[in-house]
Amino acid sequence: MSGILLLLAGLFLPLFPLSMVFNGLFGRMQNRTLRIALLLIWPQIGVALVVASGMDVPGWMLVWALLTAIFYGFRALVLREVSLWVSFIATSVWAVMWLVMDSQGAGWYELAKYALGFSLPLILLLLLSGELEQRFGAAYTGLYNGLAQPLPRLSWLIVMVVLAVIATPLFPAFSAVMAAMLNVAPDSFMMALMLSIAWFMWGWAGARLIQGLLIGKETGAIATQADISSGKAWIYAVVLVVMVLSGIYMIGGLA
Amino acid sequence: MEQLVILLLVLPLLAGLVNHLFSKSLGYRSATLSVYGAVITFAVAVYLLLEVLVEERSATVQFGDGWGIVLGDPLSSLMALLITGISLIVRIYSVKYMIEEEGYGRFFMLLDFMTASLLLMVTAGDLITLVIAWHLVGVVLYFLLGFDTRSAVASRYALWTLVTYRIGDLALVVAAVLLYHAYGTWSLSEIFTHVTENPGEHIYFGMALEEAVGLLLALAAFARSAQLFLHTWLPYTMDGPSPVSALMHAGIVNAGGFLINRFAPIFVQTESVMHLLFVMGLVTAIIGSVLMLTQNDIKKALGYSTMGQMGFMIMECGVGAFSLAIYHLIAHGLFKGTLFLGAGSVINEARQHDGVPKQDLYTFVVERKSAKRNQPWLVMAGITLAVPIIILTMAHWLVAQDFFQKQGAIVLLFFGWITGAQLLFNTYRMDVQNVWRLVGMIIFSFALVIAGYVLISHAFDLFLYPDPAFRAEIYTAAHIDVFWFDLLVILTTAVIVAGWVLTYYSEQNRLKGEAHLNRLWLSFYAMVSREFYMTDIYAWLTRALLKVSARLNVLLRWR
Repeated sequence: MSGILLLLAGLFLPLFPLSMVFNGLFGRMQNRTLRIALLLIWPQIGVALVVASGMDVPGWMLVWALLTAIFYGFRALVLREVSLWVSFIATSVWAVMWLVMDSQGAGWYELAKYALGFSLPLILLLLLSGELEQRFGAAYTGLYNGLAQPLPRLSWLIVMVVLAVIATPLFPAFSAVMAAMLNVAPDSFMMALMLSIAWFMWGWAGARLIQGLLIGKETGAIATQADISSGKAWIYAVVLVVMVLSGIYMIGGLA
Repeated sequence: MEQLVILLLVLPLLAGLVNHLFSKSLGYRSATLSVYGAVITFAVAVYLLLEVLVEERSATVQFGDGWGIVLGDPLSSLMALLITGISLIVRIYSVKYMIEEEGYGRFFMLLDFMTASLLLMVTAGDLITLVIAWHLVGVVLYFLLGFDTRSAVASRYALWTLVTYRIGDLALVVAAVLLYHAYGTWSLSEIFTHVTENPGEHIYFGMALEEAVGLLLALAAFARSAQLFLHTWLPYTMDGPSPVSALMHAGIVNAGGFLINRFAPIFVQTESVMHLLFVMGLVTAIIGSVLMLTQNDIKKALGYSTMGQMGFMIMECGVGAFSLAIYHLIAHGLFKGTLFLGAGSVINEARQHDGVPKQDLYTFVVERKSAKRNQPWLVMAGITLAVPIIILTMAHWLVAQDFFQKQGAIVLLFFGWITGAQLLFNTYRMDVQNVWRLVGMIIFSFALVIAGYVLISHAFDLFLYPDPAFRAEIYTAAHIDVFWFDLLVILTTAVIVAGWVLTYYSEQNRLKGEAHLNRLWLSFYAMVSREFYMTDIYAWLTRALLKVSARLNVLLRWR
């Protein structure tokens, strides 16, 4: 029974090819609220299943998780549609949760916190992609670029949220990846290397996303679009500050 | 003293935050705010260094539980002075230089955040703080290099920088994790105490902890300090604003040397890492210098010059001259910063007046016109070979009578001798009115430089590593078998002398060169001018990877 629960968890903390279920589902859902709910709940189910199984995660599953993280991080490099990028990066970062769960004595609360740390910035990015769709009909890199000059507030938010997604220090995802590294690096050089590669891929993919949206000469159509309202921008900024504060708190948990 | 350390970190951070939050209402005053902030931060850094020097103690401040430790020790106070000094100059320069740029306030905000990140990096007293600061420097640099968001080129090379830095960041993360796992603490001072008391106690990745961590730290330093294979971003990031280039070349790329010094207690316990530093530094110094000589773009040439200098700095660490590397990075930071800030004026001047004034040095080096009447060959050869070695030996003997026992000192002595000899060798055929006056001036300047570098680096040694036993340990860690050392020195001497002979021969037979030799030379020149095709290979690899990624997505229907 425990083994089945663990395997079932591979659906929710996606392991390739089980990960295709999540990505298929996410792709089919057009409603943003449902997508947000999926980003929020999906990994939490996985965490609950692993905790319920009461089993130690076997070594081969950790390798499987790392391969999945690298695979989706690598595939995210060329993605141009923001929601698809969110879906792939979600798959990649959630796979790393398997390594966090390997930690001795990490309780459900601790794990749920890390999973939330991965999901929250993805949700923010999805919301920001909605802002892009509202203005341009699609959230797509390369279709229009050079948003940085005409839409500085929106651009700043996109940059900060992407930094949070790719586990930049002080954001909660950083603590989660550090916790994962603490679990695997001392035992295996290969696993440390694989986790590093996955982390590297997120950074590369994130930078490419930022470049595809914000860099370049803006066209006339972009210049006429209104920036995100300062009220909305403040709400996002407050959420980001809360994330940084919780990230700092979570770093304390590593000590 | 503790308050000074806190002020040092808070001031630039505060200036950056105010600049960001009130950028609209501040307008051009954001520069004034940033400059005043930088002046006060610099004053604090000066005061901190004086306190450390006078009181001969270090300050430690801890913010978090087990992490968030910042130090005000000799190394951090020295580095803080360099960082605040250079960033102050860069800010003052930028006030007018950036005035017509869009995002004027944003630029100063980024400079403030960069200063804060760099100061946090050099004062970090625990691994988590160090990792955070190390990452943040890379991220802020990415935005500074890509400051002109309309420039796709600047942005592309900013991405290259970020990607390369990421490699070093991750190596540092793994090193930090191993140290924490072994000793159960993030605190650097506690870790160093454990490492010193029980070296070789832990095994990771099939080797001693110190060796594994040393290799990872070396990789982090290589990525940050543009060592060979991780250097391609450096000469190409010239599309960013000139003040950023100055800050980057004067302050940020030096971080490799700082990192090695910070982890000196670990490096002294390694067996082969110091030799790796030496070899990598040496090769980088040579390749960087060769590439510099073939560039016709002044800023790109300066970029490769930095690569060569960074190679030299890492090589110094490899021979155990840790504090000399710190002196080197400070000296390099100051002169390279000046060159970058002056590069714009030189280019402007050259565009307006393309005629080069008649000058002895230009005639000799560029037009390659030598004197019609040469001085007595034997006398000049004697001076060329003997004078530098006499000056160097005396200068070294002045600070440490036993320097002949240290291989590292011998290696540096050797390089100093080659440089001095090269200088004299190159000038004795110069067409000047009074050749003896020129030789005299060269010898005087050389003696001054050598005495300065030996005495100052000795003072740095005493300041950074006051324990003589530890200083000796560093040199011992860099020690190699005497047979191999001697062989290496003989081989290097042979190569250099062969190079001199070849140069002399080709100078004498310039017009009678054989066709196949000329072809070979041209092929070599083409390879150098294409930077050994390394950038092309990386670009090709990147394109190939992206193609594979796209194909996989199509194959799996984006799921």
